[in-house]
Amino acid sequence: MKKGRISFHDQILRNKLKSFFLMLGIFVVIVLLGYVISNAFAPEYFFTIMIFAIIFSLAYILISYHNSDKIALASVGAKKASRSEHKQYYDVVEGLTIASGMPMPKLYIMPLQQINAFASGRNPENSVICVSEGALKKLDKNELEGVVAHELSHIGNYDIRYMTLVTVMVGMVAIISQVFLRSLWFRRGGGRGKEIFILLGIILAILAPIFVYLVQMTISRKREFVADASAVKFTRYPPGLIKALEKIKEENYPEKRVNKALAPLFFANPFSFRKLSSTHPPIEKRIKVLKRM
Amino acid sequence: MILLIIILGVAALIFFIYFNRFVILENRIGNSLSQIDVQLKRRADLIPNLIETVKGYAKHEKEAIKAVTDARKALVAAKGIEKKVKADEKLEKALKTIFAIAEGYPDLKANQNFLELQRELSATEDKIAYARQYYNDSILVFNNLCKTFPGAFFAKLYGKKPKEYLKIAETEKKPVKVKF
Repeated sequence: MKKGRISFHDQILRNKLKSFFLMLGIFVVIVLLGYVISNAFAPEYFFTIMIFAIIFSLAYILISYHNSDKIALASVGAKKASRSEHKQYYDVVEGLTIASGMPMPKLYIMPLQQINAFASGRNPENSVICVSEGALKKLDKNELEGVVAHELSHIGNYDIRYMTLVTVMVGMVAIISQVFLRSLWFRRGGGRGKEIFILLGIILAILAPIFVYLVQMTISRKREFVADASAVKFTRYPPGLIKALEKIKEENYPEKRVNKALAPLFFANPFSFRKLSSTHPPIEKRIKVLKRM
Repeated sequence: MILLIIILGVAALIFFIYFNRFVILENRIGNSLSQIDVQLKRRADLIPNLIETVKGYAKHEKEAIKAVTDARKALVAAKGIEKKVKADEKLEKALKTIFAIAEGYPDLKANQNFLELQRELSATEDKIAYARQYYNDSILVFNNLCKTFPGAFFAKLYGKKPKEYLKIAETEKKPVKVKF
């Protein structure tokens, strides 16, 4: 609280490092998969497949780095918020960007009836905030301010870069391993020596989702508390955020239409509030911490 | 020999880093100051429109209208951020009277233009409050750097002094009393 944004430097640095290693990790995984697949299926095309794997992984990483926000927005069917229709939304965000000294993010609205929000993008200059229709309808100005401030702090701390990258890339790894596992059924009879690579492939395909899960776990619950804390630093008004969280707790209905991989991005876990909130700390606990401020 | 060069290089780097940090933080303070200015100006620009609208429905409330016009004039004429902020506080008070009076004129209260101006004015008031908060936050970060070690050493070296906070008016600190 005392030192302002400076004290979040560690967090920002950690997020940037993690993002880098994640991208590196994805590159290695895809190239490794290419290696195993080419050895298992078509050793004679080894070089072609490897070159393809490298180009593909680089392109994939670059595209998702620059478009992760658009991918996330598209997957929830978000639309751009118009300034004339959603004045309060714009007013609130503009006020908070002044309070935090951050650039203005682009504002979106997603067609969800539950109260929720997320932020995305690769850095504060290229960021978006997306709020659900339900949130705009059910929250008053102070509560909306609390929620938006929470999302703004995710942007300021570079949580968005890491979280969105995880979401996008991890989905890809899962798909590749699935494709590989299924393609095994259609394999023509192979020669000797290939078996070991097929076995390796199966092991990798099984390990990939576990790897994905581990990466998702590194999106620690701690950053939700940090974002709550800096949200209060911006608004100087904990009751706004507390009331918003209480409203979410009360309405408590899981949304079926949201892709599970997106959960870590959201303000509150969109699926369930007590059982599996592995991506978010329990709401009661967040409220308790906020009340102490 | 190489070791000496490395040590000197690192030392020079530290001097540069601290110099830049002071400059960056000072720029941030200057920037947040101009942000307050921008919002104050925006607020002053909204007033004439409001006065016109109010005059159309509540001509007899001359005193309240005059208070707002005067407060606006004082705000536009004020030099220096302290005085401007003080003038804005006076304007805010005058506006509150106008909005309270408007409650007695249903036609005015239902006027789309009036509602829009009211919303806009309260939004700029929020922004002014946030800009002031950010200004003081920036000064806090700067002063922390000036007063803690090793920043204090470099502050002395570069001749940087802790800055004054923007003070909040006495009236704002007192809890509001509600009378029925």
